[in-house]
Amino acid sequence: MYRYDEFDASFVRERTAQFRDQVNRRLAGEINEDQFRPLRLMNGLYLQLHAYMFRIAIPYGTLRSKQLRKLAFLARTYDRGYGHFTTRTNIQFNWPKLRDVPDMMEHLNEVEMHAIQTSGNCIRNISTDQFAGAAADEIIDPRPVAEILRQWSSLHPEFSYLPRKFKFAMTAAPSDRAAIKFHDIGLKAVKNAEGEIGWEVWVGGGMGRTPMVAKLIRPFVEHENLLAYSESIVRVYNRYGRRDNKFKARIKILVHEIGIDKMREEVEAEYALTKGGQLTLPQAELDRITAYFAAPEFERVNVTELDIQREKTLDPAYGDWLERNLHTHRAPGYASVTISLKPIGGVPGDCSADQMDAVADLAERYSFDELRVTHEQNLVLPHVRVSDLREIYDVLVEHELATGNAGLITDMITCPGLDFCSLANARSIPIAQEISRKFADSGRQREIGDLKIKISGCINACGHHHAGHIGILGVEKKGTELYQISVGGDGTEHAAIGDILGHGFVADDVPDAIERLVETYIAKRTSADEPFIAAYRRLGDAPFKEALYGAQ
Amino acid sequence: MMEILTGNEVMSGATVYLDRDGKWVEKLQQSRVFLKEEAEARDAAIAATKKTMRINSLEIETVTLRDGVIYPDRIRERIRAEGPTAPRMDRQHLDGDGHVSI
Repeated sequence: MYRYDEFDASFVRERTAQFRDQVNRRLAGEINEDQFRPLRLMNGLYLQLHAYMFRIAIPYGTLRSKQLRKLAFLARTYDRGYGHFTTRTNIQFNWPKLRDVPDMMEHLNEVEMHAIQTSGNCIRNISTDQFAGAAADEIIDPRPVAEILRQWSSLHPEFSYLPRKFKFAMTAAPSDRAAIKFHDIGLKAVKNAEGEIGWEVWVGGGMGRTPMVAKLIRPFVEHENLLAYSESIVRVYNRYGRRDNKFKARIKILVHEIGIDKMREEVEAEYALTKGGQLTLPQAELDRITAYFAAPEFERVNVTELDIQREKTLDPAYGDWLERNLHTHRAPGYASVTISLKPIGGVPGDCSADQMDAVADLAERYSFDELRVTHEQNLVLPHVRVSDLREIYDVLVEHELATGNAGLITDMITCPGLDFCSLANARSIPIAQEISRKFADSGRQREIGDLKIKISGCINACGHHHAGHIGILGVEKKGTELYQISVGGDGTEHAAIGDILGHGFVADDVPDAIERLVETYIAKRTSADEPFIAAYRRLGDAPFKEALYGAQ
Repeated sequence: MMEILTGNEVMSGATVYLDRDGKWVEKLQQSRVFLKEEAEARDAAIAATKKTMRINSLEIETVTLRDGVIYPDRIRERIRAEGPTAPRMDRQHLDGDGHVSI
């Protein structure tokens, strides 16, 4: 894992001291809110409906135990004993007082964390596959390159005031678990004809009010040229991206308006000037950073096949958890464990300070001190011995973290919605809770199989509703919250934007509407092996429309 | 049309309302209600509040009075007044030094 060098450490210390002074001046009335707002936002401090919200960066979703313990400490000391993990793999605290934020930043500095660039029109936290460095199907660990991109993009003088915010996501596996095609730039590690590993570059994806699936701009960029190529894209965007209308300012609009061919032409022209210059990444530097992400020394262990059916007979809840919450590890005898933050009826992504401490202890004891945050608002122990799974599960049970629902209908992405967010038009969390309760039965969830529901409380789509197999978008009409339902979205390598089925439903009717969609799927699937999204692609939206609105 | 003034206090970020005595308070029901013909007084209160520099996100919200109870027209404002509904939790409160008057 990357560690701060002396430059990083002194920079974040200076930034904290600077912000402390800015807070003092704001409280003393020496600067007004118009002057203070951009300063606090640069440090991840928002003002929401009820209080400030402090958003802390978790670069590429990777944490060490002591960092999670520090977040638990902050939750207990300065907040209300919990934090909320987000779809950008960050964490948010919803209740800090302004005077405490500089102290919180100092505590973060002690564990090499900060909140810089978690807001503003700059390059935001870079997200990756949550199983990076562990997954059996990846061709390299993408995190060293993610770290290099983080260093390049942090406080980049040219890109601190882009037309709009800018998000990277990367994966190095054929299965896209990072939704790269819904990002401004999506990077996928691939091999070229010579067997060399480089990056396939996608551009112009995004959600929000104008959802777009990214387009392929270059099939292969070498490691050494990735910074130059990335800089070329962002420079073209910075030059031509619209600044007259914030709703048309993301790069996806530029790519859509000028077309991918013209965009490619512009980027290639810029790349011709940039390539081979100071942004060329020396192999020695890549090696130096890669060393920080060296794989743990996995033991040679006797591989014992998990007999999940047997475990389900002996202890159904444990068997269910094994069946859903494990991911295949590249080292024999190991597995990656998803810790669901989606208990039945709970708030997706919320985690108490005690739970954070418990997970940190587990990571330290069983997972080489490593943790991951997923864009689906769960946590991951990336490297655990299969022989330790029962002990880990028992601890998770003790801390109410053992829900065996990864990838099932109750494992929903949900934005904070109108209960917290100043941009939202409708509540998201209570909708998720009611759907979760409706489908609480574990057997029923398994009968339904893989199904991703994603819920947003406004058109900004922080809850990724466009990419949900079933997407739910909250809107307000004449003082009432209404929920539009879409079907067919997909955040994977088969990226697709869901189709809105018809008029919205009031909150109380949403769980029944979801039930009707599920019933339609089960009735029409070819077999239990055909997942919801595959059935939708085969059937189209007609039967799902009929399920919601009757025969047209 | 009836209106109230609301904002967030600078230290705590807590939701506050301008009351009849010119104090910024936590309780929606203590809000001063401005009638349509009181726009001048409303604007004067906004100007005086801005001078304090201690109330952020200052907004005019339309409300309805039902049997003397103030009912914000927007759902957003009803949630701001009560705190989050899911999970149901207490709203943010002012610190001891968080009281603002105009």
